[in-house]
Amino acid sequence: MHRRTAWILCATIGLLLAVGFIYPAANVLKEAFVDPHDGSFTFGFLFAVLRDPLYREGLTNALLLGVASTFVAVLLALPLALLNHRFSFPGRGFLSLALLVPMILPPFVGAVGIKCILGTEGSLNAFLISLGCMDHLHPYDWMAEHRLLGIVVMNALHLYPILYLNIAAALAQVNPALEQAAANLGCPPGRRFFRVTLPLILPGLFAGGALVFIWAFTELGVPLVFDFPRVAPVQILDGIKNLDRNPLPYALTTIVLLVAGGVFLASKLAFGLSQSGAAPRPSQRAEPIALPGWAGWACSALFAGVTALACLPHLGVLLLSVSGYWHQSILPAEFTAAHWQEALGSALVVPSIQNSLAYAGLATVLTLVVGTAAAWVITRSDLRIRHLLDTLTMLPLAVPGLVLALGYLSLSQEGKPFAILVGAGGSPFLLLGVAYAIRRLPYVTRAACAGLQQCDPALEMAARSMGASVWSTWRRITLPLLAAHLAAGGVLAFAFSMLEVSDSLILAQRAEHFPVTKATFALMSALGDGPQLAAALGVWSMAFLSASLIGAALLSGRRSGLGGN
Amino acid sequence: MEPLHLRSICKSYPSQPQPLQVLAGVSLTIQPGELFFLLGPSGCGKTTLLRCLAGLDFPTSGGIFFGERDVTNLAPHLRETAMVFQSYALWPHLTVAENIAFGLVERKIPAAERTERVEQALRSVRLEGLGARAIDQLSGGQQQRVALARALVVRPRCLLLDEPLSNLDAQLRIEMRREIRRIVKENGLTAVYVTHDQEEALAMADRMAILEKGVVAQVGTPEEIYRRPTSASVARFIGETNLVPAELLAAGGESIQVKTAAGIFTGQGVGAPLAAAAGTPVTLSVRPEAWQPAADGALNSVTGQVVERVYLGARAQLTLASPLGALSVVILNPPTGLTTGQTLTVAVAATDVVVLPLA
Repeated sequence: MHRRTAWILCATIGLLLAVGFIYPAANVLKEAFVDPHDGSFTFGFLFAVLRDPLYREGLTNALLLGVASTFVAVLLALPLALLNHRFSFPGRGFLSLALLVPMILPPFVGAVGIKCILGTEGSLNAFLISLGCMDHLHPYDWMAEHRLLGIVVMNALHLYPILYLNIAAALAQVNPALEQAAANLGCPPGRRFFRVTLPLILPGLFAGGALVFIWAFTELGVPLVFDFPRVAPVQILDGIKNLDRNPLPYALTTIVLLVAGGVFLASKLAFGLSQSGAAPRPSQRAEPIALPGWAGWACSALFAGVTALACLPHLGVLLLSVSGYWHQSILPAEFTAAHWQEALGSALVVPSIQNSLAYAGLATVLTLVVGTAAAWVITRSDLRIRHLLDTLTMLPLAVPGLVLALGYLSLSQEGKPFAILVGAGGSPFLLLGVAYAIRRLPYVTRAACAGLQQCDPALEMAARSMGASVWSTWRRITLPLLAAHLAAGGVLAFAFSMLEVSDSLILAQRAEHFPVTKATFALMSALGDGPQLAAALGVWSMAFLSASLIGAALLSGRRSGLGGN
Repeated sequence: MEPLHLRSICKSYPSQPQPLQVLAGVSLTIQPGELFFLLGPSGCGKTTLLRCLAGLDFPTSGGIFFGERDVTNLAPHLRETAMVFQSYALWPHLTVAENIAFGLVERKIPAAERTERVEQALRSVRLEGLGARAIDQLSGGQQQRVALARALVVRPRCLLLDEPLSNLDAQLRIEMRREIRRIVKENGLTAVYVTHDQEEALAMADRMAILEKGVVAQVGTPEEIYRRPTSASVARFIGETNLVPAELLAAGGESIQVKTAAGIFTGQGVGAPLAAAAGTPVTLSVRPEAWQPAADGALNSVTGQVVERVYLGARAQLTLASPLGALSVVILNPPTGLTTGQTLTVAVAATDVVVLPLA
């Protein structure tokens, strides 16, 4: 019966999450509390980390990066989302889609591109020297002088689409009658925003902001490329590379997890309880107001400008990938398509693409099955435990990829329980598939929940009353109605699995098993035309992921907020 | 066809501080071919009872029997009931014909027969030729008919209707009442119909049950319920009524004598008051249209002053300030010159005075 099915599903998903998520995470945390000499429990390492000036600086820098990146991302995303919600302007449809483009590149690849633009021998300095504003013997090192700022800008330019999508989804949920009522009572537009609109979209803003903060706070790739080691995630990576079982990196990981989890739970508790999605969608929709002449074009220019700025790294990557020789000039001196071909011929590249497709494919199938089942229990059953399941499936958002990757690493060693996930020849296929899947589960679960909530349960009951079994109802009614949402969630999960950095860097140990991100990373530090090859690989990934994301956007009709509650 | 038995159905939901009791022992028998109404105010448990019949909810205790077969805990798709939902619940990804054919596919009816039966169902709800339409291309009334056709086409053992007309405008509602009754009767179906609209129930039902706080307050034909309510609350729920406090004097045979503030009245009892001792306080129920203008001193008469008058052409609604309190009186074909401030004597036949236990 209905309840029994719900219980079975709930127990199965709970068990999967306990084994695949809580156990490895707890296993990492354990290292921070157990003295390796006598096995006794201790808080000593946590305090040791907090006392250590280097680690303290790393944590402070990570917090600073998190807060500043989130702040800049809000400054970018909020006005754009509002403009797009309220007004129509030339090219609105295309421009609001183009705004999401920055997501198609892992930020660390983007950082390579930005080096070509902002480095001492990059385009900007070349441009300034050509204008006579700079002495070519003493070029300014933009990135060395302002490394923290550079990382913040890179993060913000990469992450603002998450906020934009969340705010846009929140705005779409606001019943226009609420704003009209305020206007009717004499509230002018500016005050209306602060007194009515902002409070209503605050949950969406916080949900997106928490995601951006956690992402920036635990970002590993960008600081690595900016050569900035004094930040907690890089310190953790450096720490665990020395296999001397030093507990301090684990203690640092615990503190990072506590901060990330705390921010996530705070955003959930402050706003999450009231918005489990039960609120009905507004039946009416406010028509956007057409902006007259110059105002409309100014608006379009703003959208195009932000997109262009956010695409600077992509431009850098693209130019680098086609450059034969590029040194101290605005544009490369020679252009060549050779790197693209070389990239496809490289011993590292083609297998890495195949690997990534396999890992991400497995992860997508796993998340779709588990996420849909979880969403069904959350939205369609009356089990009280469903609220716990809801939080549990969202929790991977709060756990930095690094923590989970470390957990999987230590549990997959010889003789440990996850060693069975390591295939012949040390293949991390299952390991990475499961690790990717766990961290992408929130996206699919959210998408499926949104789909189920928009689908009147009476439609399913009607099928049951017409003689359809639970399975038949699912197959003939629920699944077709849910298909668009599932496809959108699945494509996102796939795209983000392809872009995954932490698990990929840590869990894929041999060159023949490298996924795309790790291959890119390895190429970057290779001698000769390694960076150009890495850039070419980056371009291939971008092309592939833009196609996926446009597909997802079309499928979902741009309705779903990313990870939005 | 076999009767449908509900035996002591209880349903409660877990809630704090104590479980929420929605149904508290409902027993009913619905005859084959009957159009049976479940009527009651919001929250009385009527929709829960219907969902228990459909198998979309399960009773906490009690039993549901189709004939001798116990279906209490049977899954919904094995019950052979078909439900028409308040929201219609038409599947937006299927066409009109596909919606109607859904249940036939589940029953593995061959394609040729399926097409034939869908056509027939479309004809019976007068939607010929609209089978290929998408659901959102239909008006509210047409959608309602598709929902009905979808339920009828599977020839259910029992048709269940959950406020199917509540989303339609007044004109269409009256049309569809006739349609539904025609279709149910033409197909010889047993149907259970939930509504809170008493006029709908009076106009359509063969029999009805009034539900109150999870129990059956009264079962009967529309006429029985209207003319012989067994409690003040049923009298108040169905139609308008005047409830007058009185005291039992003597009961003999059919008629009962009571003492009121306006003198001795004679009425008819239903159930308990007949057996009660003299001096027991009771309540009289008199419908506004039962009062007739009369001469002073007539049997069952009361004199009062007209304090409010609403003229409606064919009838006038008066409020009379009388020794019995404010009385609502409806005068058919009202004489000219009947205005507020006038003194009026009205009387009621003994058969129209229902003596009820104290409200």
